[in-house]
Amino acid sequence: MTPETRTELIEDLVSGVDRYNPSNVSILEDYLYHQIRSEEYDCLANLAILKLYQFNPELYNPDVVINILLKALTACPLPDFNLCISLLDERTANNNLDEPDPLPTLLPILRGLHSLLYRCRFPAFWTAYRSEELETLRDNYTVECVGFENAVREVAIRAVKAAFTQISTERLGSYLELSGDDLQAYIQKLGWTLDASSSVISIPPNPDNQIEATVVQESISLPQLTKVISHAALKA
Amino acid sequence: MAQQRMALWAAEADIDEDVDLHLAIGNYGQNGHYEDAHIQQPQIDEATLLAMQQHMAQQAAFSQIPDVVKGFIVHFHQAVLNNNLAEITVAYESGWNKYTEKFYSRTEWPEAEVIAPLVNDDPIFLILYRELYYRHVYSRLQPNIDDRFHSYENSCELFNYLLNSDGPVQLELPEQWLWDIIDEFIYQFQVFCTWRSKVKSKTEDELIMLSEGGPVWSSYSVLNVLYSLIQKSRINEYIVAQQEGKTPEEIAEIVGEYGQRPLYRMLGYFSIIGLLRVHALLGDFTLALKVMDNVELNQKSSFTRVTACHVATYYYVGFCYIMLRRYPDALRTFVSVLNLIMRMRQYHTRSYQYDQISKTADRMYALFAICNALSPSRYDDNIANISKERYGEQFAKMARGGEDSLPAFEELFLYACPKFITANPPPYDDPTALSALVSPSSPTDASQPTTLTSVDPTHRHLSLFLADVAAQAPVPTLRSFLKLYTSLGAKKLANFLDVDEEEIVQEMILMKQVSKHISRVAGSEKSSLLDGQSLTSSDLNFVIADNMVHITESTVGRRYAGWFIKNTERTARIYDEIKNAPLPQPSKNANTAAATAAPTPAGGDAQTKAPRTGGQKVAWGGAKVA
Repeated sequence: MTPETRTELIEDLVSGVDRYNPSNVSILEDYLYHQIRSEEYDCLANLAILKLYQFNPELYNPDVVINILLKALTACPLPDFNLCISLLDERTANNNLDEPDPLPTLLPILRGLHSLLYRCRFPAFWTAYRSEELETLRDNYTVECVGFENAVREVAIRAVKAAFTQISTERLGSYLELSGDDLQAYIQKLGWTLDASSSVISIPPNPDNQIEATVVQESISLPQLTKVISHAALKA
Repeated sequence: MAQQRMALWAAEADIDEDVDLHLAIGNYGQNGHYEDAHIQQPQIDEATLLAMQQHMAQQAAFSQIPDVVKGFIVHFHQAVLNNNLAEITVAYESGWNKYTEKFYSRTEWPEAEVIAPLVNDDPIFLILYRELYYRHVYSRLQPNIDDRFHSYENSCELFNYLLNSDGPVQLELPEQWLWDIIDEFIYQFQVFCTWRSKVKSKTEDELIMLSEGGPVWSSYSVLNVLYSLIQKSRINEYIVAQQEGKTPEEIAEIVGEYGQRPLYRMLGYFSIIGLLRVHALLGDFTLALKVMDNVELNQKSSFTRVTACHVATYYYVGFCYIMLRRYPDALRTFVSVLNLIMRMRQYHTRSYQYDQISKTADRMYALFAICNALSPSRYDDNIANISKERYGEQFAKMARGGEDSLPAFEELFLYACPKFITANPPPYDDPTALSALVSPSSPTDASQPTTLTSVDPTHRHLSLFLADVAAQAPVPTLRSFLKLYTSLGAKKLANFLDVDEEEIVQEMILMKQVSKHISRVAGSEKSSLLDGQSLTSSDLNFVIADNMVHITESTVGRRYAGWFIKNTERTARIYDEIKNAPLPQPSKNANTAAATAAPTPAGGDAQTKAPRTGGQKVAWGGAKVA
């Protein structure tokens, strides 16, 4: 839960009582934008922002919330996205904002995207993501979030790695929204091998895609039997 | 004069009607008794009148208190003054409940001001008394807005006294009471938030009081109390030092003058559990578990003596794990505490705690059923059976999956989840926003997206949980098919289920994904509750090679150890019994026969022999061993 890139200042904020101090929100927000730019991710720090918004509705900044949700989306299948939503308390009309709040419109969209990702409907995710309806999201938010699309691809890769030993290029391509040379390059970077004749990619063995039937045997160690043995010894 | 006194007396028997009283006095003066009224005028100004009136009302109320209750309060006060924990415990756990049942099952206890003369106006005892007074109102009666505000003020006074006196206070209270203080504080906070969020049912007066309520029961003030108690007692430092095996002297140095006192140490510990609960109620499940970083979840620590606290801890930890999708961890948490509750059921006689504990236990059996359906594997058979006994119908639906399973999940979740709250009140300080909330003024308002505004917190968390569950809905069906094969083509499987092949493959990836959970690893009991590794929790495993699914199943081998140990124990017991049993000597019969026949027994009878001389005691003992 603690990324290596977290600085001491942030660590103190996340772990201490200072996380409740509204005047620290800008430090955490800056840290979020740093994550957006440098492809880093720190769920606990971002939850701390939402916590401050929860307690201090006047701090609420919809752009920050949307960026936090985008980052959490790519942490799938970890529950981060839901954890963020859990903290978005009901709020009454935001009269103090200059522009209309984009969150009420975008939230169902983001939840839809999350559902597709969590349910491993990767091709459907890309179709939805490229749709006209999501233009606002793409133009105003994901474009700023460096490496967003690659991060989604990594979600797919994590899932594929666990479930497959071999996968056709066509199928993998649909999951990654890549084809041709781009796909080739991507596979190469992963260190996976492509059999040119069958166009089937082999995925190196890992603990999840190596399966074997096991019989779980109980293992009893001597200390667990001390009571029985010592009772017998005492009586003897 | 006498007449006037009568009037005052009669009017003041009812405390609430002081306004009418003024009118009565005014009229009285104009009704021909002018001289009297004139003479009295300088003496009874308004303040004196109010004071007198209050005093007399109190006297009236005081005279109505049964003598046994007066005696009880005096005794209770004395026990608190003497810091006599044993007597305080008796008064708190039995006396209070006894007199509640007898005299106050449907009405309030006498107000603190009324009983004040009994306890020499001891302000500390009166605070403690009010703590009990309001708790009784909340649990047996319907608190009105004054009760809600005053119970908050009283809690603040209590914590203020504990935290801001000159150094640690000398007061001592039983652990159970200390837990109840924290527990009740959070309970009243939760009840207040729920009550506050219902805008429509408020009266004018309530609306005014709420708009001026300020920090009353605000999330910040509640958290402030809990964090202050944690910091003052240095409870986290205490736990760490204890785990590191420091000596009592070193620990005393580390925790300082507050932490050395049991009152502060226990309040500190209970405040950590309180934070766990408050954060869970507010929907911050990670932070809830994070505040528990230093607390080791086991049943050996000295903090587990208060069972209600122990049970609450496991309930909230388990629930947070569910919301983190860590179902195996949730199951382990529930199993360990449900086993404990079963074991100690026979020792619990105090009903007011036991009721609460068995209610929480029942909710945990429901949560167990939920988790077991989402992460099917063999856990504790005993607990699993009880859970199925109580929630068999729902469990069958949940385990079968598909669309039909969702109502069963919803039913059990709503039954067993905590009473979630929102951190902030509706805009009572902003009448326009408030009226817009109660009745949307124009049709355009109503048609605006209401995703964020109209959902109460319970349904927000429910919808997130159900979304997770719905994602898993196809898994049980897939699982039942895969169980029949060791390898199976994806196309064939798709034909069985009458769906598209690509869709089946994606569902398989999902199935693989949900069979893995972040889990705490054995041997890491001391690490944070949030730590863990991704582990496969399913007994069915598979992998896809292009379009072919290969399946394996883990089985549990036959268990011998339990059988072996049980029988060893039984044999040992029989052996012991045989050894300890008196030998069925034929001489024994002969002895009794002899005893009746002749008063002087033979040398074999040790019992009559022993008392004769001291010297023969050794032989007596030796005879028994042999």
